[in-house]
Amino acid sequence: MTLATAAHAPEGGTTAPAVRIRDLTVVYKTPAGELPAVSEIDMDLPAGTITGLVGESGSGKSTLALSLLNAVQPPGRISSGTVEIDGLGDVVPLQGDKLRRVRGGQIGYVFQAAQNSLNPLKTVGKQLLDLGRSHDVDDLRALVSEAKELLGRMGLDGARVLDSYQHELSGGMRQRVGIMLALVLNAHVVVLDEPTTALDMITQANILEIIRNIHAERGLTTLVITHDIGVVAEVADQLAVMYGGRIVERGPVRSVLGEPRHPYTQGLIRAIPRLTGDIDQARALPGRPPTLGTIPERGCVFRDRCELRMSVCDTVEPVLERHADQLVACHAVAGQEPDGGAPTDDGQEQT
Amino acid sequence: MKGFARRLAGQLARGLVMVWVVLTFTFVIISIMPGDPVRAEYENLLQQGYSPEQAEAQAAMLHRFRPTGSVFEQYVDYVGSLLRFDLGQSLYSRVDVATVLADAAKWTVIPVLLGTVLSFGLGVVVGVYAAIKRSSKLGDMLTMSGSLLRGIPDFVVGLLLASIFATLWPILPRQGAVNILYEPWTVEYVLSLGYHAILPVATYTISAYGGFILAMKSSVVTVLGDDFILAAELRGMKRSIIFRYIARNAILPLFTVFALSVAAVFSGAIFIERIFNYPGLGMLLIDSIGRRDITVMAGALLLITVAVIIANIVADLFYSVIDPRIRRAGDRV
Repeated sequence: MTLATAAHAPEGGTTAPAVRIRDLTVVYKTPAGELPAVSEIDMDLPAGTITGLVGESGSGKSTLALSLLNAVQPPGRISSGTVEIDGLGDVVPLQGDKLRRVRGGQIGYVFQAAQNSLNPLKTVGKQLLDLGRSHDVDDLRALVSEAKELLGRMGLDGARVLDSYQHELSGGMRQRVGIMLALVLNAHVVVLDEPTTALDMITQANILEIIRNIHAERGLTTLVITHDIGVVAEVADQLAVMYGGRIVERGPVRSVLGEPRHPYTQGLIRAIPRLTGDIDQARALPGRPPTLGTIPERGCVFRDRCELRMSVCDTVEPVLERHADQLVACHAVAGQEPDGGAPTDDGQEQT
Repeated sequence: MKGFARRLAGQLARGLVMVWVVLTFTFVIISIMPGDPVRAEYENLLQQGYSPEQAEAQAAMLHRFRPTGSVFEQYVDYVGSLLRFDLGQSLYSRVDVATVLADAAKWTVIPVLLGTVLSFGLGVVVGVYAAIKRSSKLGDMLTMSGSLLRGIPDFVVGLLLASIFATLWPILPRQGAVNILYEPWTVEYVLSLGYHAILPVATYTISAYGGFILAMKSSVVTVLGDDFILAAELRGMKRSIIFRYIARNAILPLFTVFALSVAAVFSGAIFIERIFNYPGLGMLLIDSIGRRDITVMAGALLLITVAVIIANIVADLFYSVIDPRIRRAGDRV
């Protein structure tokens, strides 16, 4: 997965750590046993790029994002696989203080805007100092001025915001504070979980622009999780589509959105209402996504809602195979283009 | 701080209304009491050879209203003297009721506050622990101990402690507040004070503690599920800092519980002081009832209710000082 992305990486971005996820499986303990929410995922976040991760609620995208910080919450746990981050190595075996330092220090996590990610009883500034002390920052003054500068670049009055409590900030302001807290310690990998959900359209556009600008300025490696394809189209270089705990298609955002190959991706894009034309042109995907308990053990996870279902789909789970620019996990797509090549042809998936 | 002043004024106004209701209620109780004690006193004095004017003045000094006046006149006299902090005289000892009450109050207020604060501290710490360990046996046991202690009436706790530590295994005194043989404020005197206070304070502590554990536990469990705790964890905050975040947020609702507890412990003191023969307001109230010492009884009743009202006001104000959402919201108005 390096060839398509090197072209997208801005200069200077190549030094930022990239993330390599291999064979990652996350299971949740339920009365019916441990069920996988994320199954054997391989994915790279190329250095200096913004990768979008889209999927419906329950597709496992937030679980995947939390795995990057080894922070899957009980009753879930990472049962196998590795998450290698340049400069850190595999974060899965990390524990205790080491793990804590990685969180916030090297990997920043920005919460969904609708969530209250700040302590309601402390001003933003005091929480910033808590963050600095947690990561043994010697020069807290420098940290504060860095925070003010970041907030200023996002169009906020830094001094005023640092002196405010959460309830005194609007949703868009809180989200910018969240971004500031994720970046102020110079994290190089940033995970944004639904960064614009619950914000109005103008604030949304604002936040996306901020994400793009800061990403480029700092040469970050960014993962944006969303259920909003519009957000991905706006900011991402790479796009991965998740369904039932698996990645069903990924590749450069232009190719995946312009020429979606997986029937699920196609369905998702068809379901978006257009600004022009009849609303009826938007067609909802029939059926509903699987839940933890209803993900089939064998075969393709999407087959129950798929128009192209074949008999092989019931028994064999499709693997990601290269088709032109993107990787697609679908028997039907593989069948359509026999010349698309076996996965070994370009050898990209081996490491 | 404008918001705080406004809040304080509102609370005080509300408190005053409550005090007025209580004192009116006390007055009504005295007036409708069978045998009309004021009238009886008046006639008693007449029989002893006082002139009607002298008898009336004497009775009025004791009770703060004239036995021959109309109910309304009596009420006006009564409220008027209360405004001058004149509570009348004890029918039993002829000492000013205010003096009697002040003597007794210190034996109630200090141990009750000490006991409530102790059990607050203890309950909060154990409650946090019970919340964090809620899925383990130890957590279950702590929670159960809370429910159990909450279910036991305070006077039963007092009797149990008295029979264990003062009778079966007599290591602690159960009579009085201090050894009167010691010269006041010598070291021995102070030690003796503490020694005598152990059982009553322990009773107050144990009987309030169950409520604190349960309230704190449920509050912590709620805060643990809040998004900002996970956010702090994902930002790599130190455990000790996250713990403080949890504790401070979880403790807020506890101040309401605290105010209620002070009230409960205060009224519980009526029985507890009896058990330990502790010369506080509760003892005074019971003794005065036994002696038909109506003025003292009314004064004690009034003081206990006012104390409870004050505790509530203080708790509410404290709440607004430590919660910026309330504090700053007030400033905006």
